Amino acid sequence: MQGAEILLQPGVMPRLLQGLWVTVWIAAVSVIASVPVGLLVGWLMTLKSRVVRVLMRIYLDFIRIMPQLALLFLAYYGFARWFDWNLDATGACVLVFILWGGAELGDLVRGALQSIPEIQSESAYVLGLSNWQGFVHVILPQALRRLLPASVNLATRIVKTTSLAVLLGVVEVIKVGQQIIDANRFQYPTGTLWIYGVIFFMYFIVCWPLSIVARRLEKRWAND
Amino acid sequence: MTDIVTETNNGAALSVRNLVKQYANAGRRVLDDVSFDVPKGRVLVVVGPSGSGKSTLLRTIAGLEPIQGGEIALEGKVIETGKPGTEKAGRSARSSELRTHIGMVFQSYELFPNKTVLGNIMMAPLLVQKRDKAEVEREALELLGKVGLADRKDSWPHELSGGQRQRIAICRALILHPEVLLLDEITAALDPEMVREVLDVVIGLARAGQTMIIVTHEMRFARAVADEIILLEDGHIVEHSNDPERFFTEPETDRARRFLRTFEFERAPHDQQ
Repeated sequence: MQGAEILLQPGVMPRLLQGLWVTVWIAAVSVIASVPVGLLVGWLMTLKSRVVRVLMRIYLDFIRIMPQLALLFLAYYGFARWFDWNLDATGACVLVFILWGGAELGDLVRGALQSIPEIQSESAYVLGLSNWQGFVHVILPQALRRLLPASVNLATRIVKTTSLAVLLGVVEVIKVGQQIIDANRFQYPTGTLWIYGVIFFMYFIVCWPLSIVARRLEKRWAND
Repeated sequence: MTDIVTETNNGAALSVRNLVKQYANAGRRVLDDVSFDVPKGRVLVVVGPSGSGKSTLLRTIAGLEPIQGGEIALEGKVIETGKPGTEKAGRSARSSELRTHIGMVFQSYELFPNKTVLGNIMMAPLLVQKRDKAEVEREALELLGKVGLADRKDSWPHELSGGQRQRIAICRALILHPEVLLLDEITAALDPEMVREVLDVVIGLARAGQTMIIVTHEMRFARAVADEIILLEDGHIVEHSNDPERFFTEPETDRARRFLRTFEFERAPHDQQ
């Protein structure tokens, strides 16, 4: 248990929790805001208009090809230079994660929408439902169920990827951990593992409930 | 031929005139100059080999497929006029209200899996016809009672058998009070024992005077329910009879005779030892 005492040092756990809060905040805002963006993008991708589809394709491929880190730097340094729009580090992170989450979720939404057989929408049509009513009441609810597992997976990826925010100077949970380790290097040379162990546990606590909820819902909807 | 048809037009719930249906990039017409009337309260059964255009015919009437020639009229009012070059046009732009006048039941039921039985039946009356919820629910329960499924009102589609689902699908179409009900091989996906429970419902509807166009491969059912019968082949009407009994016993055309014979089996002789 050598080095474990570092966790009991005054201020260590509260600071880690503060860091965790930053992580959770960035992740939560990004995930929640990705949902409407993803739904919109996914819907646009199923439209007949070739222009819209090509634009969405370019957006998705751009986001996918670029490393998230490069996107973060682009948003953080690029926006200030090009648009005179001075995003702070947290803002840049949230923006990038929304664009990324929106693109990835959009592709999931597209796949789920297209997986609903055409005859379901024909069935809505002959009952007199408008296209919009058919979409909202028949197609979308079924699509949402189908994309649930993959989108929870995406949400946990977003939570984990928030650690890149460190590189823009955001003091989230990993940065806090590093600071604690650095400050106690001489007093607790073996504390490193303990701090990272706690951080691992914290990520687990954040992501685990997501997969529990997903599994529950999946089970409940399994028979549809 | 056309003159005779025009004469019988009076009182027709649905009239189809010189209907032409063609798919893009296909030389052959799926439906070619098809004309008939369905008088109010009568049942027209359409039979024919696979690929003869039976289902396509129902789909054009329901507005799911654009037509390239001819007309479709509902109670004397033209609702669809064919135009050449519309092969890729997609579904008809007919109004929601008009669509509720023509009901359609599919072979694969197509209940909405995200809604309960009651939710499926009540959706269109509430969303499209904007009817009162209590009144719609009362009628839905009444319909469910008629098809023997009152106790399944809160079930989910996946909890039901095929035959039960198909009876729900019929209720879902009926609650809109369609002038014409289109049934597209509604028992083709069912186990033999479930076929009966669905067909009994349809026979009940026929007795109650529901105008229907039925596409089916069940010849005995066709014989039991039809007021008129059409044999379709390669998009053409081969024989149109308003005496189904006669059609099934002594059809006028040779083609009909051969078609009906495919449903008969003779006892295979055993090899003599």
